[in-house]
Amino acid sequence: MFDFRFYEIWRESDFIDRLINGVWISVELSTAGGVFGLIMGLALAAAQSSVSPSVLRYASISYIEGIRNTPFIVQLFFVTFGLPLIFNYRWPFEASALLAIVLNFSAYFAEVLRAGIESVHRGQIEAAQSLCLTRRQTFFDIVLPQAFANVWPSLTSQFVFLFLTTGLISEIGVEDLTWSGRYIADRNFRDFEVFIVLTLLYVLIVFGYKAIFSLVQRYAFRWRVAR
Amino acid sequence: MTELIQLLLGEFHAKMLLVLLSATQWTIYLSLTAFIGGGLIGLIFTVLKISPIGWLRRLATAYIWLFQSIPLLMLLFLTGLGIPAFFKIDVPAWLAATVSLTLFTSAYMSEVWRGALESVPKGQWEGGRALGLGFNWILYSIVAPQALRISTPPTVGFMVQVIKGTSMAYIIDYNDLMRWGKKIANSQLDGAEPYIVYPVVALIYFGLCFPLSQWSKSLEKTMSPK
Amino acid sequence: MTEDTNTGSAVVVEGMSKFFGDFQALYDIDLTVDYGERVVICGPSGSGKSTLIRCLNQLESHQQGTVVVNGTELSENTKNIEDVRRNIGMVFQSFNLFPHLSVLDNCALAQRRMLKKPKAAARETAMKYLEQVKIPEQRDKFPGQLSGGQQQRVAIARALCLEPQIMLFDEPTSALDPEMVNEVLDTMIGLAETGMTMICVTHEMGFARQVADRIIFMDSGRIVEMNEPEIFFTNPQHERTKTFLGQIL
Repeated sequence: MFDFRFYEIWRESDFIDRLINGVWISVELSTAGGVFGLIMGLALAAAQSSVSPSVLRYASISYIEGIRNTPFIVQLFFVTFGLPLIFNYRWPFEASALLAIVLNFSAYFAEVLRAGIESVHRGQIEAAQSLCLTRRQTFFDIVLPQAFANVWPSLTSQFVFLFLTTGLISEIGVEDLTWSGRYIADRNFRDFEVFIVLTLLYVLIVFGYKAIFSLVQRYAFRWRVAR
Repeated sequence: MTELIQLLLGEFHAKMLLVLLSATQWTIYLSLTAFIGGGLIGLIFTVLKISPIGWLRRLATAYIWLFQSIPLLMLLFLTGLGIPAFFKIDVPAWLAATVSLTLFTSAYMSEVWRGALESVPKGQWEGGRALGLGFNWILYSIVAPQALRISTPPTVGFMVQVIKGTSMAYIIDYNDLMRWGKKIANSQLDGAEPYIVYPVVALIYFGLCFPLSQWSKSLEKTMSPK
Repeated sequence: MTEDTNTGSAVVVEGMSKFFGDFQALYDIDLTVDYGERVVICGPSGSGKSTLIRCLNQLESHQQGTVVVNGTELSENTKNIEDVRRNIGMVFQSFNLFPHLSVLDNCALAQRRMLKKPKAAARETAMKYLEQVKIPEQRDKFPGQLSGGQQQRVAIARALCLEPQIMLFDEPTSALDPEMVNEVLDTMIGLAETGMTMICVTHEMGFARQVADRIIFMDSGRIVEMNEPEIFFTNPQHERTKTFLGQIL
């Protein structure tokens, strides 16, 4: 009754090449987006600390609320089709995709990191002060490592959630995993099988990411388990 | 009202805004349906997830895991393109979109609610059992009310995710705000450049989402213990 | 221990008041502590004793009066607050060790950041003080792996690593299980024997009797009584002091 024809996907070596390339592009862009997004998110979270000037604080909050309350696809289209017209300069779609991903991820990461920073006990900061550490040293040496450790699980699930939306970059022609699937389905007309395989590949990538996150948890934050 | 908008924006942009606003209703319908449908299904799986019967728990675990792991985009493709192609049937875009978003919502909602139920101290269950109450009764009269308190803010917060999620449905040609935004932005008309249209679209989404985010935040403040 | 450049007293507080919003936590405090002196501050909870010593290293800032520590007057905008703080070590009730750093790195961090010491030298100093608090073998563990008493001893060593002239103790034994109190008190007694200037907020009256040069009793944000231990315990001057001693002895 069910006539599955998965072999239609690996019938042509071109299809397989596209899939492999798609996995690579998806992983590459989301990893880069994750790293840069984390750095930008950190800056956004730090800008919200009580010592920073209120202009900076409001700018950071507005940015975060603006991103978090609008869909990624709209941000992506604006960055890809709107910004180049404003600057009168065209850049490759991959760059637009990466920019949109970073802008998007950073707002979500900032929210998680802010919670992490707030979760660090006040006594830690007082101890650092009484040991003459400067504000900057206190933030980077004392607060940040503990903040990361405290919210690492949230950061993991937030990243996975965001990763699962990156397939939208196929809409602007970036040849990621979703794009490869649509390319194949357009040619072998086996949409169902193609998207099942695609889903499996996404799940596998998520497994990979989760494994990396928990490795970091195990080694970088082993002081938390060691009690 | 229409005249006022025309006066403020000029005829062209007024027309554009009205088209977008009227497309927004489809975004709202889809969001509401997915939220209510997903909430109901999510509720069922939440109860299964904590039920005393082992295989029901495993079923719920599998369900929640599955639909949290499948990208929403893939759900849309599977229901909107895959199933019609495979079974040679016609699935209207609104149906595929509704089913996808409902499944997506249900998995995340039951995750939120399970977390809330588990955060109710074990002693509450033990206390109930000590009073001779059964599983259903303890859940209904003791644990659920406490969990409801904890889970209300994230539930409201998730409505924002649902609304943003509906914007992906344009990909299978569901006629919502996003689709009309894209149509207008692609129209090449003067005054409908992407850098005008997309910010307007974003602003409309923001108008839907931001009040919910704020509501969720204020609930969190008033409902947090102490 | 005393540095000749300083004008005699380690701490000179004159007419200091401290407010939290509308609430006045400290009233018109006068207190002078000389180098090498050991002062114990006691009093009921909420009497302002912790606030008082937290004002001495600017973890709290005062609103009226003057606070001079090591010859430097403290104010809200003291530019050289780091220079003042490096001469004051502080030990907290809840230890406040850095949980993500090993015992050794807890002790080495400030030396490396503040004094810009190279790693090896910082660790050498750290080991010296870990030996002083009799816990050198735990150097590679994380704070979470130690008992409360051990953590507090590490916290004392950590404060000593900057080689301060004054040590502040804010109820160092209150958060400890009873069987661990003595190991921390013994460490503090050992420190007192080196001639360290110490200001201790504590309810350990045995320790106070043995070590203190002076005992201060505070109540409701005021210094009620200040005397040598002998007189303080045998012949308290104030009714409130008597009541308090009756409650805790």
